[in-house]
Amino acid sequence: MSRLVRRKALALLGGMVIMFIFTAPIIWMFLASFKPIAQIFSIPPVWVPDFGHLGNYAKLLSENWQFLLNSVIITLSATLLCMVISLPAAFALTQFRFRGRNFFADWVLSTRMMPPIAAAVPLYIVVNSIGMIDTIWALIVIYAGFNIPFAVWVAMSFFRKVPKEVLEAAELEGCTSGQTFLKVALPLSKSGIATVATFVFIFAWNELLLALFLTTRAAKTFPVVISSFVTTSMTFWEMIAAATVIQAIPTVIFTLLMQRHIVSGLTMGAVKN
Amino acid sequence: MGRIVLDHVSKHFGELQVLKDICLEIEDGEFVFFVGPSGCGKSTLLRSITGLEDITSGQVLIDGEDVSDLPPSERGLAMVFQSYALFPHITVRDNIAFGLKIAKIPKAEIDAKVAEAARILSLEELLDRKPAALSGGQRQRVAIGRAIVRDPKAFLFDEPLSNLDAALRVQMRVELIGLRKSLQTTMVYVTHDQIEAMTMADRIAVLNAGQVEQYDTPLELYDHPENLFVATFIGSPKMNILDIEGHDPSTLNLAGGQVLDLPGSPGFQEQRPACLGIRPEHMTCSKNTGLWEGEVVLEEQLGSDAFLYVDVPGLSRFTVRGVGQRGIREGDKVHVTPDTEHCHVFDRDGRRIETVDRAADVDA
Repeated sequence: MSRLVRRKALALLGGMVIMFIFTAPIIWMFLASFKPIAQIFSIPPVWVPDFGHLGNYAKLLSENWQFLLNSVIITLSATLLCMVISLPAAFALTQFRFRGRNFFADWVLSTRMMPPIAAAVPLYIVVNSIGMIDTIWALIVIYAGFNIPFAVWVAMSFFRKVPKEVLEAAELEGCTSGQTFLKVALPLSKSGIATVATFVFIFAWNELLLALFLTTRAAKTFPVVISSFVTTSMTFWEMIAAATVIQAIPTVIFTLLMQRHIVSGLTMGAVKN
Repeated sequence: MGRIVLDHVSKHFGELQVLKDICLEIEDGEFVFFVGPSGCGKSTLLRSITGLEDITSGQVLIDGEDVSDLPPSERGLAMVFQSYALFPHITVRDNIAFGLKIAKIPKAEIDAKVAEAARILSLEELLDRKPAALSGGQRQRVAIGRAIVRDPKAFLFDEPLSNLDAALRVQMRVELIGLRKSLQTTMVYVTHDQIEAMTMADRIAVLNAGQVEQYDTPLELYDHPENLFVATFIGSPKMNILDIEGHDPSTLNLAGGQVLDLPGSPGFQEQRPACLGIRPEHMTCSKNTGLWEGEVVLEEQLGSDAFLYVDVPGLSRFTVRGVGQRGIREGDKVHVTPDTEHCHVFDRDGRRIETVDRAADVDA
């Protein structure tokens, strides 16, 4: 009995240590965002800051609100664009029999095998030559494009799960393929769509390298702003802390909202039900 | 109207031919069943009529029009699936109205049709529920409701009752018979359940390996199976089959030196009899006298009937049906006697050879 208790206590302790390792930087960052720069490095440390001190946030947002807005617009648009293209594509790839279907599906996936950064220079040249450098449109198209293969493949897996008879019933009831897709397949695949949308959202929201390459001023995104707080002369830790908290908020909210769906989406198809 | 004609319909899946040159005529208002063992092509044939499967060659005609190249939605048919295939995300009402909304029928008309279907199928109380909140029988009724409202030329049923439990199946069977009487529409029904086919069908097509073995009324299939396959497939328990080793005009020589005299003179000529079939109810079992002596090895007592499995040494094991049978137990020595008026004789290719009972029918 006591051995069992001791083993459980050890497991709990181990879990807490691991949790601390992972959450400490986030907690440090969160607390630092409420401190003036002097307090961040003071010894002994200021454990609990004055949460009424919002100077970092005020300064950050007043100077950079338009870049935050860029991020929001680009992320939502890219997610939407990616869904609009990849969901019908996935439905067609699972429903229609045509020559080269499997080849096409594999080819879509193969574009995913290239790391996005490998395309950075070619993309810069292309975007520059059509005069779209430093526009949010370029980033929307590129972020959506990079996520289409992944989105198509995940969406294919959940469209395959819609019972064949239900789609056939829709066909017999007079639905065109498009109506079957909109009225039956999509509503039955909500979890899957939520999963894909979440992944695309997080990718686009957190993407830094391509944004760094393809924007200079007008279309700069929030991660680029964060990176700019590290300069050759000094690092603005209080700004980085406040910006990172803001950067993390949408991801946390979005994931919490979608959590129920994501869990069922990720395990979907794992076992026969 | 709903007259369906299948004219030399064939279907290949790659190398495999699943439907072989099928010709069938289904009259308007007729209730036709497709039965056969698993993999015989009965569901594929039904799906070929709906257009959910393309056929490789031949024609499907509905009211004289060749619909072979029309998409399913333009054939004017409604189908009820084994898995119900309801739309789980919308209410019963919306499920039933689904096709009408797609066809952009005015709302008042949709409401009237849904109400009528709900009344016929006793679904009024359930219209605002989602399919997940219904029992299996209720779901199947919704699926039927979805089919009814579209006034189809014909209803196609793909094993609609096989997901239901036994009691519900009996109830739904009665409801379907009532529905059929009130609608007077052509119905085509696929099942592996003989009782469904025998009790409901006007005509039954028995399929085997992609071919129609016989297409006839239930009683005709039972009383005059055209071949050995139909003879053994229709009827439960199965017909007893004995090998015939030799014959003269009216006597059959069976295994174990047994002989059987057939009444009249069948006069077998070019057709050489090879198999003798006797249904379990055309055998009698007695403790005292009879043609062949054997031992009861198993007794299946159903109350109303009892099926006795009797081993006759050297000849065969027989299934004998006794109505209200109580006196004979497992292990008893008994005598079994076939009713020679109701024997079926088949040639080496399994084709029926007409004997006395058909001749008697013709006389009558």
